[in-house]
Amino acid sequence: MERPDLKQALGRLLGPAEPEIGCDECFEQLDRYVELELAGADADAAVPGLRAHLAGCPACREEHESLRALVSGEQAL
Amino acid sequence: MSAVAGIRVDNPQVDSTIASTEPALDPESREWLSSLRASGREHDQAVARLHELLLRAARFECARRRPTLPHLRGNDLDDIAQQAADDALVSVLAKLDTFRGASRFTTWAYKFGLLEAAVKLRRRAWQGREIPLEPETWSLFAGAEIEPDKSVEQSELLETLQQAIADVLTPHQRRVLVALALNGVPIDVLAERLSTTRGALYKTLHDARRKLRGHLDELGLSLETTEAN
Repeated sequence: MERPDLKQALGRLLGPAEPEIGCDECFEQLDRYVELELAGADADAAVPGLRAHLAGCPACREEHESLRALVSGEQAL
Repeated sequence: MSAVAGIRVDNPQVDSTIASTEPALDPESREWLSSLRASGREHDQAVARLHELLLRAARFECARRRPTLPHLRGNDLDDIAQQAADDALVSVLAKLDTFRGASRFTTWAYKFGLLEAAVKLRRRAWQGREIPLEPETWSLFAGAEIEPDKSVEQSELLETLQQAIADVLTPHQRRVLVALALNGVPIDVLAERLSTTRGALYKTLHDARRKLRGHLDELGLSLETTEAN
């Protein structure tokens, strides 16, 4: 079994260093953020702190990945 | 946060007032709002279409997570998707006036279906499992690979971190940090067990992380290797 990477373990423990928004704000902005990402716009500039939150919150990160995959899949149809 | 009320497509005066501060609605989103705010048959048909859309999102989430849930059968997953779509429908209808057109309506609605399904699946995966909350039950980074050329610094950092978790954090911050960041307990699962909200728990986690970072900074320990992934 592969040994856990120390950097990743420390990252999970200490979270992002930069300012981040919370889970509620993340959920509120997620649809806008995903559409900006898929349009090739600067989503991080439009929604400051959301990218950092995704780095620190596995649940929101999963929901971001799912919404992005669902919407991009529909756009591809 | 903006305090502007939701866009009401049936009131041109409100529409024109809000137009200067809110993005214009695309035709499809406008149609969704109009039909959901209608009455009678048009409303009922729109609600049925919305439920279909939410069920699509919930099934999408169930399908994505299926490989990590081998103990759940297809019928179980479909039941979860149906329940998620039902709950998401209630949420979307209750929050309709908060939709401001920052995205397409369908993208906005999808996130409710995905969220409800994800929360239900995470809770199901942890059903009946004990949640380790106390420091005695974990060993900080047991077996973590330390880089040979940084072994002294990294060992010192780990020892200091372990001590700081015990000394600097409040008991509640310690329990939340241990469960979420060390033991990988999903935040919705912990929120349910502690009868609190995901937002409140993340605030506690954030405060605990900031305390630890500040403590390491005061001691002059390098955080070079601690960037989140």
